[in-house]
Amino acid sequence: MSASMSNRLLLPANDTRVLLIKWVVALLVPVVVFTLWSGESIVNAVISPQTSSLGISTDPVALLAAAIFVTVFYASTITLAGYLVAADSGRRGIIELWIDVFIFTLVPLILVVIFHDLILGLALCAVVWPVYFFVRGRVRKARHYIPPPPLESLEVLDVGERSILISRATAGGFWFGTAFAVVTLITDLVYFVTGSLPTLLLIWALIRTLVLPIAGYFLGRLAGVIALRRTLAAKGNGGNGANRVGNGIGTSLRQQLEVLSTTRAREEAKDLVPNDLPLRSTGAQRFYLILLGAFVLFYPILDPFLFGSGTDGRLANYGDAGRYVILALGLNIVVGFAGLLDLGYVAFFAIGAYTWGLIGSPQLGFLTGIVVNPQLWPWFFWPMVLGAALIAAFWGVLLGAPTLRLRGDYLAIVTLGFGEIVPIVFLELDNITRGANGIIGVYSPNFPGVLWTGFTPTPYYYLILALIALTIFANIRLRDSRLGRAWIAIREDEIAAASSGVNLVRTKLFAFGAGAFFAGIAGVYHAAKLGVVSPDNFSFGDSVIYLAMVVIGGIGSIPGVIVGALAVYAINELVLPQLDTFAADPSSVFFTIKSSIIHFAPGFTYGSVRNLIFGIILVVIMIFRPEGLLPSARRRRELHAATGGAEMGALDVVPGAPGFEEEVRVD
Amino acid sequence: MRWMWYQEPLASKRRYELISSKASIEEAGNYPGNALLALDKATKHFGGLAAVQDVDLQVRPGEIVSIIGPNGAGKTTIFNLITCLYRPTSGDISFEGRTLVGLTPDRVVRRGIARTFQNIRLFNNMTVMENVLVGLHTHLKASVLGSLFHLPSVMHEEAEARRRAIELLSFFGTGLVERQEEYVVNLSYADKRRVEIARALAARPKLLLLDEPTAGMNEVETLEAVKYVRRLRDELNLTILLIEHKLTVTMGISDRISVLDYGRKIAEGLPEEVRRDEKVIAAYLGKASTRGEKAPVDEKAEE
Repeated sequence: MSASMSNRLLLPANDTRVLLIKWVVALLVPVVVFTLWSGESIVNAVISPQTSSLGISTDPVALLAAAIFVTVFYASTITLAGYLVAADSGRRGIIELWIDVFIFTLVPLILVVIFHDLILGLALCAVVWPVYFFVRGRVRKARHYIPPPPLESLEVLDVGERSILISRATAGGFWFGTAFAVVTLITDLVYFVTGSLPTLLLIWALIRTLVLPIAGYFLGRLAGVIALRRTLAAKGNGGNGANRVGNGIGTSLRQQLEVLSTTRAREEAKDLVPNDLPLRSTGAQRFYLILLGAFVLFYPILDPFLFGSGTDGRLANYGDAGRYVILALGLNIVVGFAGLLDLGYVAFFAIGAYTWGLIGSPQLGFLTGIVVNPQLWPWFFWPMVLGAALIAAFWGVLLGAPTLRLRGDYLAIVTLGFGEIVPIVFLELDNITRGANGIIGVYSPNFPGVLWTGFTPTPYYYLILALIALTIFANIRLRDSRLGRAWIAIREDEIAAASSGVNLVRTKLFAFGAGAFFAGIAGVYHAAKLGVVSPDNFSFGDSVIYLAMVVIGGIGSIPGVIVGALAVYAINELVLPQLDTFAADPSSVFFTIKSSIIHFAPGFTYGSVRNLIFGIILVVIMIFRPEGLLPSARRRRELHAATGGAEMGALDVVPGAPGFEEEVRVD
Repeated sequence: MRWMWYQEPLASKRRYELISSKASIEEAGNYPGNALLALDKATKHFGGLAAVQDVDLQVRPGEIVSIIGPNGAGKTTIFNLITCLYRPTSGDISFEGRTLVGLTPDRVVRRGIARTFQNIRLFNNMTVMENVLVGLHTHLKASVLGSLFHLPSVMHEEAEARRRAIELLSFFGTGLVERQEEYVVNLSYADKRRVEIARALAARPKLLLLDEPTAGMNEVETLEAVKYVRRLRDELNLTILLIEHKLTVTMGISDRISVLDYGRKIAEGLPEEVRRDEKVIAAYLGKASTRGEKAPVDEKAEE
């Protein structure tokens, strides 16, 4: 470490200092809140399991997992701080950024802590955030805020500037580490003085105070290297990631960006370093993915630290939520990619569930006389995940075939019919499916060393996690393939697609088949988890809910659909059924509302207006964010074409105004 | 020749070889009447309306043939019949001696006929590159499983397809190559036309149907369009059937011209002959006028 380098680190240039304050504060506040809430207790449990007072298991495997999570979490946060300092062009205001960051990190944290449930808290954010977007859009408009034009920020960095970038990132990591160390040391000292901190943990606190700045320095350098990969190099400085060479024609990324329209250039330029919105750059998104991945993977171990008792109930809920994620992703292929409105999607879910219900239960013996070993038969679950999915896909193709000549509304009506017919068929075939009683005793999966019962949701949590991962993987690959392009082409213009050589019949049937395939997977999981398959699980209402998940999340957008599925599930299945429970507590706001309503409507319960509230919430989300919570780029442009796609957020035109029709038009 | 690649299969390795357009221009001589495309009394009725009535038309390999006529004369209907968007009420349409009637539109593309549309039909919310890649659809073989697992053959094919798409775009100079990542909705009108032609070329047709390629263009753009229509024929050995309203354009580039009126062919021949034809003048200018050359240009969309 040269003298000048350490000098720059401790006394950075003026502009860097502003960036440091901006990002260290923006990241430190949520990280400290998380640490005080539960991060600290995880660390403490790992350091000295005996002293942890929460009644948390001292199982070494769990502790090791917790340790890994904590390391990954803090390391990637520090690196992220370095990256953001390096990647920021410094053209956006500090206060505005802080408000944004706090809305997007503190609000969910607070909601999660209040409601004591992860998905529940996040789902409420799905209501809060659109309103925030709307308000922000209005405020910006009132202040005549114009986002800086994009091309100015396409800075080409020479060697000197590149080394400055690295040193900035290093300073970012270092100062974030230091600030975090100081804050936590002060809290720990306060605890120690008040006597609630054992000496062992004080020693750890001192070590941590030393380690964090050093780790921050090196992680910051790493962040600098990551950021450098996304810069535009000066001419002749080859070997740079961002300097794509257009095959043979020799256009650099820079040249390409310069000829694009403002909207498109802004979309592309957000990946470059430095840029105006580093939080939204793909570089930062990598960090979010790492954090999210670590969190989701270790969640069953972290849950007791976060929320205390009741882990099993929450995990069981999350397993259900995951099933909706798969269903929504599958429906997204049909509705989002290929643009075929399907109102009977629940049929394929039912087919998947009944496939395992009939094969993976004693019912198989009653029907065929084949006697299977109930110890070994559950193993058959694994091939049957694929088998049932294929059977569902087959029916998807079969039921899709008659609808091929139909479009739009007519197609929706016919699919609606299938959604009604299939469950009725299962209901009426009572000599096979036991009719309304349903099939009971459906086997759980089998896996060595894992106990699968209804009371241990952790294996199901990991099972659904694996299935979701597979579904997402397949969705992304399909979307980017030749087939996915054909789907989108059909959605855009069927006649042009056919005249370009796309076989409409095959392509549409593939969409129905692929959609049904994933519904089949969800069905098998559902049957195995519940142990019962009965026809009342598959109603028209379910199909509509799946569609609502896709639309609210953002049609055609894979991350959007996942978020939409979780949000709708949480609102519909977790929040609304519990409103009466909440209202029982006289101190809650629901109690106040209820007692004032009951004057006018005696006998009022939240349960009786549950669907009304659900509908209102959906309408609110759609008004404030018609393109969905996390729309795909295409979709966002479609809906915001008139505004030039300047900013994410609400409509700029009031309904009824002349421009409105044009803006909300969906082809 | 510069555009040699156009006739080559997409991927160089034999294993990935695609449906190659084997029938070259020379082989085409074996068809009856030497016609690449032949309409034989093609008729299309919509209810009581005869949109196209007993139209005979031959297009020989390497020709540029224009169809002209007043609005509603049935020109676009003929294109829709050829590309099998409509099924003829009676009569036959054959390509390379084999009938097209009853095929689906995508089969027609595979047989070697690609088209553009009068009111440009691009995939607006896809990029320039993606539009051309959809045009290459018939020449890609990636299966669902291959795409899921990114098999080497699929990746190779995809890279080749992108390379070829860039080559196709570079037919119109560097402008579109540079804007390959642009959404087509943001392009200028003339550029949209070019992308549409590039998408049609991507299918590697033998016969290209252009529906009013200069509609809505100004003089300069029209002139340029005329140039590239010629280049399409000369450099890519394409046969071109063209609907055109601007008579100056038609006269300038066509080898032969067919004139339609009320769904019937009223004249056919060399540009010079057609220009002097009494029936054509009457159809275009009304019976009273006989001032041959300055025919009014119809701006309004047909259909």
